[in-house]
Amino acid sequence: MKHLTKRFGRVVAVSDVSLDVRTGEILGVVGPNGAGKSTVLHILLGLITPDSGTIRIFGRSLEHDRQAILSRMNIASPYAALPPRLTVQENLSIYAMMYGIDRPRRKIAALLETMDIESLRHSAISRLSSGQIVRVNLCKALLNDPELLLLDEPTAYLDTEIADRIRQIVIGRRNSGAAVVYTSHNMAEIETMCDRVVLLRAGQVAATGTPIEVTNSVLGGQRQVASPAEAMLRVGWVSR
Amino acid sequence: MMLRRIAAVLLRHAYETRHNLDRLTDAIYWPVLDVIMWVFFTSYLRQGDRLHASATNILLGGLILWGLFRSFQRDLAVGFLAEIWSRNIVNLFASPLTVTEYIVGLVVVNFIKAAIGMLCAIGVARLGWSGSLLNALPSMLPFIAILVLFALAVGVAVTGLIFRYTTRVQTLAYGIAGLLMPLSCVFYPVAALPGMLRPLALALPTTHAFEGMRQVLSGGGVSMLHLWSGLGLTGIYFALAVKSFRTVYEAARRRGHLVKLD
Repeated sequence: MKHLTKRFGRVVAVSDVSLDVRTGEILGVVGPNGAGKSTVLHILLGLITPDSGTIRIFGRSLEHDRQAILSRMNIASPYAALPPRLTVQENLSIYAMMYGIDRPRRKIAALLETMDIESLRHSAISRLSSGQIVRVNLCKALLNDPELLLLDEPTAYLDTEIADRIRQIVIGRRNSGAAVVYTSHNMAEIETMCDRVVLLRAGQVAATGTPIEVTNSVLGGQRQVASPAEAMLRVGWVSR
Repeated sequence: MMLRRIAAVLLRHAYETRHNLDRLTDAIYWPVLDVIMWVFFTSYLRQGDRLHASATNILLGGLILWGLFRSFQRDLAVGFLAEIWSRNIVNLFASPLTVTEYIVGLVVVNFIKAAIGMLCAIGVARLGWSGSLLNALPSMLPFIAILVLFALAVGVAVTGLIFRYTTRVQTLAYGIAGLLMPLSCVFYPVAALPGMLRPLALALPTTHAFEGMRQVLSGGGVSMLHLWSGLGLTGIYFALAVKSFRTVYEAARRRGHLVKLD
């Protein structure tokens, strides 16, 4: 995306933001609440129309080829839920049909096993814990083996063991050639997982580069810190 | 437009119906209960020739067809509201599903539900009273089509308003049919309305559908005037509804309402 700007009334949600993500790369998008992270993800999906700027995904214009592009992307977000009365299997079957998945039952079974929730296959979403719902959402996001995967705080409600497993799955996707856009408040995981980081502040790109480069940019190279996480915590741009 | 994605919308609502008894009661229980009550009431009125047989047909026919219109219009908008209530909108529209495919899926789902409801109601009416409603059904089909298409136009327009004004206007899904009912002349002819309201009534396709239905049930055959007037008006309203829906959908994307509809 290039020179993207989006205003909601007088509020500038995103201002002149340019970013790119390459195949086989995890791009971390970090910043304080209200920095514009979710808005950027929603613009990438065509759910919000930008006021200005251009978006090209897989070499195609999002404006003109949205359906073709969306069939190769997917998202897991805490702002996107699944119908609560339907079971895990039913929800995933519906999305498997929407994305045109071959052998959906086999695919769903494999994903449930990967996320360690096979036993919940016939449970209604409303009966699951928040951590289990996050894992079902991740199954939905991985159904079509997306070439571009958008993950909005995917480990926010997970215990350490499951969060580690999710990180390994995401890294596995990256290693198999997928591009991943990953937002998180957990700076430790951003450091360990992301190849590059974009730091948003008040809707603008405040810094971009490798985690170390972003650290130097945040502190202007004036002070030594143990990690990029510490740097961003120190300037109050992320929470612990 | 992909049939597979439309089928996914059908599957989603089939599963919802399996788990949610409200969907079944809305489709079958209330229309059938209405008819049972009216069968008893008209049976009472017919005792001692207080009500002519054709009038009974007209009352029951009006009741059944209005139920079809009301449930089709309401369920189209409520089907969309169900996605908002379950916060499923982002997942739906982040998939390759287009808004046209989604609406077509909803229309098919609700057409099936409304048809089942209508046939159950007609079946009960026939069991309760040996009238000629079922025999007159083929002649009434064009008027039923007018009601279904106009209900579709109203449902699309209301869904568009929900896109624009979010759930603040969700009451329209349930209430707008009630607003149209007095002017639609469901149980009485247009001539029964005060003069100043007649032009308004004649501007509604529903009025022509019910006038046409009454003529059929009275043995007067199919009124071409009401048939073509109803179809023409339905076409105009349908075009306006689709145009306004496209406008508000794009406005919802510009304003960010699509991701914050609740």
